Amino acid sequence: MRLIYLILMFMASVIFAEKNHDSHEHHGHAVHQNDVYVDGNKFKLDKKRFDEFKKNLKDVQVAIINVQGMVCDFCARGIEKAFLKDTKVKKIDVDLENGKVVIAYSLNKKIEFKEIKEKILMNGQNATDYKLMKI
Amino acid sequence: MSHSDIYKDSVYFHYSPSFKYSVGLEIAKDDYFDDEYSFFRFTYLLNRKNTQNSQSNLYFQLGLDPENFDRHFYGLHGDWETRRWFVGFGYKESFNDIEDFSEKYLQFGIAPYLGKYGDLHTWLMIKTKKNSLGDSWSTYPVIKFFKGDFLIELGYNNKTRTDAHLMYRF
Repeated sequence: MRLIYLILMFMASVIFAEKNHDSHEHHGHAVHQNDVYVDGNKFKLDKKRFDEFKKNLKDVQVAIINVQGMVCDFCARGIEKAFLKDTKVKKIDVDLENGKVVIAYSLNKKIEFKEIKEKILMNGQNATDYKLMKI
Repeated sequence: MSHSDIYKDSVYFHYSPSFKYSVGLEIAKDDYFDDEYSFFRFTYLLNRKNTQNSQSNLYFQLGLDPENFDRHFYGLHGDWETRRWFVGFGYKESFNDIEDFSEKYLQFGIAPYLGKYGDLHTWLMIKTKKNSLGDSWSTYPVIKFFKGDFLIELGYNNKTRTDAHLMYRF
């Protein structure tokens, strides 16, 4: 019983610390969040992470996909594996924090949202919409 | 996936042709009944709800010993999770030639930090479970780590000894 009490206390302290951490970090990350633009539309994405993703990429189409139910790294692994089977996929990144999957395709790939949705659904999540940009 | 507790040690290989169901083979060494056997297992996703920040699942599971049809089980298990919180439950009825039994559990968890994709992820959990072959609920802490395709879950208390799950995703 004492052990459970200690664990609960630890959990509570972690939540408290994390809340403070979040509010502290928010100012720092605010610069990086919400400022990726696709065709003039603001797209909620971690800009720092997206810039890292774009590094060394050129002549590609990038699909930014909104995904629901992507709450766990272990469960999202299948998404990466499914898309990487396509030889026209050059790079993929999963942004758990913002519920986004970012995929760089070669320019000769005809991108269809139906295909993207099916691949993500096969892994158990739902793709709700996407945006395309060229780099 | 491998599982180990006071009642049995088992290894479970399964394949999911679709997110809706999986089929597999469990090979078990039963310490309580001092026996070894295997189960063909089938798990079916009855319901899944995805939202931007959460996912909930309800599964039905079935197991049948191909060498002894009297040995079989069925059950339900489910979970709800966000990146921060986890709640899970399960109920299973098992049948055999000697003594039928049931197992139930509840599990609560919190992620102490929110890792990015590819990081080492950690969950701190409390699990409470009861096997009708035993006499009372057993409640104990569980810690879960996963990184990439590898997951490990470890729990311990003096009643059920270790409760371990190892999983690798191919």
